[in-house]
Amino acid sequence: MNKRIYTAALSAILIAGCSKEKLNLYPYNQVATEQAFRSETDVTFDINGMYNGLRTSTSYFVNGIWNILGDVLSDNLVLNTLGRQSLKNPYYEYRYSATNTYGLFGSGYSIIRRANAILENIEKFPNGTFKNNAKGEALAVRALVYFDMSRVYSKTYLNASDADFTVPYVTTTDATITPANEPVKGFYDKVIADLTQAETLINANNSISASNTVSRLNKAAVAGLLSRVYLYKGDYSNCIAAANRALGTTPNVGSLTTFGSIWTDATDAGVLFKVKNTNLDNLNAQGVNYYQTVSQGIKSEYNVDYNFYQLFANNDIRKTIYIQTSPYSAVNYNHVIKYAGRPGTPVGVVDAKVLRTAEVLLSRAEAYYRSNNVAGAVADLVLLKSNRYTGYVAATDNALSGTALLNEILLQRRLELAFEGDRFWDLKRLNLPVQRANKGDKADGTGTAPLFTTLAAGDFKFNLPYEQTELNFNKNLKQNPGY
Amino acid sequence: MKKILLILLALSICVVSNTFAQGRKITGKVTGADDGQPLPGVSVVVKGSTSGTQTDPNGNFTLNVPTGATTLVINYVGFVTQEVSISGTDNVTVSLRSDVRSLNEVVVSAGYQSLQRKDLPGAVSIVGSKEVEQKPIASFTQLLQGTAPGLQVTGSSGRPGANAYIRIRGTGSITASSEPLIIVDGVQVSTTAYNGLNPNDIENVVVLKDADATAIYGSRAGNGVLVVNTKQGRPGAPTVRYSFQYGKTQAQKLKNVSLMNAQEKLQYEYELGFTNGTIDTMITNRGYPAGTDITTLTPTQRTDLWNLAISRGAGDWRDYLLQNATTKTHELALSGGADKIKYYLSGNISDYPGVERFSTFKRKGGRLNVEYQIKDWFKLGTNIGVTQTHDNRVREAYNSQNSYGALFFFNPYEQVYNADGSYNTTLSNGFSPLEGAVNNPVSYDRLNQFGTFFGEARFFKHLLLRSQYGINYNTLKYQSYLQPGSNLASILGYNQKQDQIQQDFFYTFTNTANWLQTIADKHNINILAGTEYNKSNLYSLSATGRGFPSKDYTTLENAATPTAATTSINEFALISYFGRVQYDFDKRYSINLSGRRDGSSRFGANVRFANFYAVGAGWDLRQEKFFTLPEWVTDLKLRGSYGTSGNNNIGNYEALGTYSLTGRYNDQTAAVPARLANPNLTWETTYAKDIGLTYGFLDGRITGEIDYYSRNNKNLLYQVQVSQTTGFSSYTGNIGAVRNYGVEFAVTGNVIRKKDFRWDVTLNYTHNDNEISELYVDNASLASSAGFGQLVVGQPIGTFYLTRYKGVNPANGKAVYYNRDGSETETYPSGQEVLLNGKSPNVKYYGTVGTNLFYKGIDFSARLYYSGGNYIYNQILQDATSNGSSIQSNQFTEASNYWKKPGDVVLYPNPLDPTQATVHDSDQYLEKGDYVTLRDVTLGYTLNNKLTNRLKVKSIRVFAQGTNLAVWTKFKGLPEVGDSNNERTDYPGTFNLYGYPPIKGYTFGIDVRF
Repeated sequence: MNKRIYTAALSAILIAGCSKEKLNLYPYNQVATEQAFRSETDVTFDINGMYNGLRTSTSYFVNGIWNILGDVLSDNLVLNTLGRQSLKNPYYEYRYSATNTYGLFGSGYSIIRRANAILENIEKFPNGTFKNNAKGEALAVRALVYFDMSRVYSKTYLNASDADFTVPYVTTTDATITPANEPVKGFYDKVIADLTQAETLINANNSISASNTVSRLNKAAVAGLLSRVYLYKGDYSNCIAAANRALGTTPNVGSLTTFGSIWTDATDAGVLFKVKNTNLDNLNAQGVNYYQTVSQGIKSEYNVDYNFYQLFANNDIRKTIYIQTSPYSAVNYNHVIKYAGRPGTPVGVVDAKVLRTAEVLLSRAEAYYRSNNVAGAVADLVLLKSNRYTGYVAATDNALSGTALLNEILLQRRLELAFEGDRFWDLKRLNLPVQRANKGDKADGTGTAPLFTTLAAGDFKFNLPYEQTELNFNKNLKQNPGY
Repeated sequence: MKKILLILLALSICVVSNTFAQGRKITGKVTGADDGQPLPGVSVVVKGSTSGTQTDPNGNFTLNVPTGATTLVINYVGFVTQEVSISGTDNVTVSLRSDVRSLNEVVVSAGYQSLQRKDLPGAVSIVGSKEVEQKPIASFTQLLQGTAPGLQVTGSSGRPGANAYIRIRGTGSITASSEPLIIVDGVQVSTTAYNGLNPNDIENVVVLKDADATAIYGSRAGNGVLVVNTKQGRPGAPTVRYSFQYGKTQAQKLKNVSLMNAQEKLQYEYELGFTNGTIDTMITNRGYPAGTDITTLTPTQRTDLWNLAISRGAGDWRDYLLQNATTKTHELALSGGADKIKYYLSGNISDYPGVERFSTFKRKGGRLNVEYQIKDWFKLGTNIGVTQTHDNRVREAYNSQNSYGALFFFNPYEQVYNADGSYNTTLSNGFSPLEGAVNNPVSYDRLNQFGTFFGEARFFKHLLLRSQYGINYNTLKYQSYLQPGSNLASILGYNQKQDQIQQDFFYTFTNTANWLQTIADKHNINILAGTEYNKSNLYSLSATGRGFPSKDYTTLENAATPTAATTSINEFALISYFGRVQYDFDKRYSINLSGRRDGSSRFGANVRFANFYAVGAGWDLRQEKFFTLPEWVTDLKLRGSYGTSGNNNIGNYEALGTYSLTGRYNDQTAAVPARLANPNLTWETTYAKDIGLTYGFLDGRITGEIDYYSRNNKNLLYQVQVSQTTGFSSYTGNIGAVRNYGVEFAVTGNVIRKKDFRWDVTLNYTHNDNEISELYVDNASLASSAGFGQLVVGQPIGTFYLTRYKGVNPANGKAVYYNRDGSETETYPSGQEVLLNGKSPNVKYYGTVGTNLFYKGIDFSARLYYSGGNYIYNQILQDATSNGSSIQSNQFTEASNYWKKPGDVVLYPNPLDPTQATVHDSDQYLEKGDYVTLRDVTLGYTLNNKLTNRLKVKSIRVFAQGTNLAVWTKFKGLPEVGDSNNERTDYPGTFNLYGYPPIKGYTFGIDVRF
């Protein structure tokens, strides 16, 4: 009898098998792509995802090398031989090739895809402020990243001929594309068009925008970005106009007393857009790019170039806010401490200031100068310097004109934006060479001097090479000359 | 169709059931022919049926046989199977002759059946317990190296407890795992869980290689199957075995290169004008003028500083970073059986400290295997194993925290300790891994539980029904503590602890029906049908906290700030139907058909189910009646097979295009594109052919097998490249096919086989060629190998793709490279890499040469393992001969062999020329990975009976064993490269990095049976 029961039971199991429904399993932490744009809440998450890209990218702002790359490549820094030799090869020694530079290309497009996905899906939402803001922010983030990529890979507008090209301007999420390079000049026009549209869409009075602190792109920030692009383009009247919209009537660049607090995130004075890096995020790359603190003191990766350091006057508050002269293993070095971070957080955990009013002001000053508006240029220069030098007397600057005025504006630009990754692109824009001090890494100028002290103006190495893996796959993409 | 078959099968049971239970009673006794002693546990079966019994401890048996039964089959491991006529008698006496070919008679479980080895379908190798027992290696996977042809095992590293890479007949997949399916007592287990098994509990490991053997495992068997069977009790008086092993292990030394000593390094630095931090501090402390460096010191000053640095320095960092480890293992096992029950019970405890300081691996385990014959037709059983491991790890990443890397990075003139005895953390590479290992401990506590419960019913003459529920439940407790006060905590500005719990629950429910029948003494039929359901659920919980008051507080409740808490779940399910028909005619001709239908949750709904099948045939020439083989051919069997199996070893949700919600911005939810969709993602399918010959000559003095195989793995799962302008670099797709083909050869010769003097020699050899046979997409670069490897039709997977290096120009000391067109250039060319024809990380041939010698009580065995035909990118060599660009780190002595003056013909360019003071990736660092190692040497002595009788024990054996005592290679460094290190996911074998070094060691052991 038992035998029969057993047989029957087992036969039943054998025949019944299992329900196929049991094979429908889905991940617990992801949603299908088509389900990511169903509601305004979804889109809000997607917008956050776009900014998240700016934060987590290992090439761009918070978690990347952006805040040092333009300085390492230029004449602002000297390699510390006791450091970890980070970025020495390929960047500091200009040994980059198609096979040893990674990230800047792909991770830029990774952020751009997030913007493109929003732009592709936003049209199905009803017209109104939510839609306008979402669209505007997506356009602006995309333009921001595109412009930085073109600064890395290509000649700037003024130095480019019609034949010069830059990265492809992709506006789709289609995964089958193999786009060709965009001509530099057309590329600038697209960036400007996107930013212009974004500026109109992002409504300063709508609810999202009200909560748009400087941690998301607001109207003023977009105008500020436009002034940056117009400066590179050499469209000075538009640069001035955009800067005016960004700065308002009383530009706040951070005062003598508040300027230092910008770098500890205690104030947003003078900040138009920054990428948030909360204590929970805890990304310390911006600091670690420059140094780590160990028991023997600050151990720098790079120190301030000897000649550059001499350009900081003693009454320049930036000198001590940006730089600290202190011993490591009993030897003094000039360490960059701009990213020391917020009090109570680990070293380097700090928001990334992507666009500051000071830059917009200096762009406007330069645009005024190049539009022969000396008075406007001087006024902006004085405004900045009065907030940077203790005991500042404007008389000398008020008297400036001609090349001396331009040089002072450019010097202030270099000093103000030092160690923010701007210098190399600025040299490229101005068609100037890199001229590093033939001095060592120590504060007194001794130590190991750079192996390569110069890069001639217009050298092909001003434009970084595209990755070989991408070139191999995408036959429509051309490598930059020289590689 | 299969369902109909099953219904018919079930119905047939009812029809024939009335004929059962009539017959007569046979009694008998079985003894050994050599000594006349009774043999317990001998299988006695009525020929042509499954009904039978076993002899009791006195060799006696009683068996009810049906009317009409004429013959009993008497079968015992190690003895020649005999058939005894019972016509006209109710009592038989059987004397069994011991059999040197006994391996063929061993009953093993594989492919959902228990069969004699010779009846197993397809190309199969069996690794017996003797080959894996009592070695000083903590990783069971690594013990399989060299044990079977076609089975390639490469230690991923020498870390105790580390997994190994297992490949059966070559690498069939790239991104999908190429590991074989591992089945322990009927349950699929992960490699990690498998490694938790106690090797001494293993009865055998069955390696299933061709389609005939693997197709019944369907979608998981594309890369072969390892079926592991644990030990069962044997009927008879209980045997207690105690064994103890004591071993010493150390890291293998580098071959063909050596690191500079302090004097050599300082001289090299001086020549290159480099002032190191140690010397620089001394210069400052002495108050020499600012700007003084190594080049401006007077020779006397320099010598003084050097002497001081050398006297304070560590010298050989091996002494501090590595250790001679003492391994210990105790084991107690009880095995036996009574009337209706068989049992095997064991417990073991072992301690395997690593050869890197502060790394340890401890294991405790137990096993209980019981079978209970409730009725003569019904049996219940369970196999339960539990293993607990504790593992303290040191860092293996490719950075300054790497403990083994420190051996290469740290200079011999640098100090290990400060004056106050604390660790020196101002080393050139900025970190002391010793301090890190002590103050930033990382531990893994695992509990691996294996459980199989089964019921088996025999019906009538021919039917065996089996139902089995198996689980593999693994938990992991991972702790990583950045202790307060540690160097890393002060660098980062916080202390932190991460606790992680993982529960990995896997269960398998298997039901099979097996029909065995012999018709007219000539037609042997074996039909199997079954269903199976597999489900895996991986749950993990992780929590992190900061701000611990002191390192004595280790639980997160003491953290001032909890910083992260996450859980995640990952699931996978598989539904299967399978069956097999085996038929042979007169033991001469055989044919097997098998098939399986699998549905997997990993694939899109359209392509979720797939069918796999195989056909195999065999011809036993010895039994052939149309001709007679010469007398000296004792065994000759030809077999062949063709069939398919699959590989579903990819992530659980790869087909879906998704947004991930795990990111955030400004502490708010952020949705981020996670993956491109591929609704067409489908199985890898292996199409395998095999033709093999099993032979035995000269009364079985020479035995072996030879196989030719070819397996073509289509729909290769791989990352399909897309333009990076899409924001992705790839998605998972099916990109092509890879073919592995080759020859396996094994031969054993019994040179001497006397009763107390035996000597045999064994050799096995495998040659495997791997080639991409088809690509559906263009230009699939092996992104995971940093672009160093390519996939090209007609070439092996991961064929190196590098710039070619010519050498140093003797005239000017500059490195010379080749452009693609063959022209030479002294500027490192970009985009001029070429495919290095045939040079890939794939091992082409491997095998063992071994010998066993028994003389009286003495046993000796030795085994050489060889492996070669592969190339390795020697990253360590590149780092350690860096032309001055990594002068902060120690260098190999050969780095001094650089160009100094015109006419020098040297290895390395002039580092004083700024254009040359760097390193470039090129085939300069690509080396052959061929090596031979003396894997095992064992000398044992078994005490003679007089002595053991006096001691009142059954047997005592003592032995000494050496592992990897010698390695021969031309490779600069250590050629057994599995993982480059435990953080990289390169195609295995591509890079030589700073992974945990392989070991050599000695073991002494004693084995006592009561």
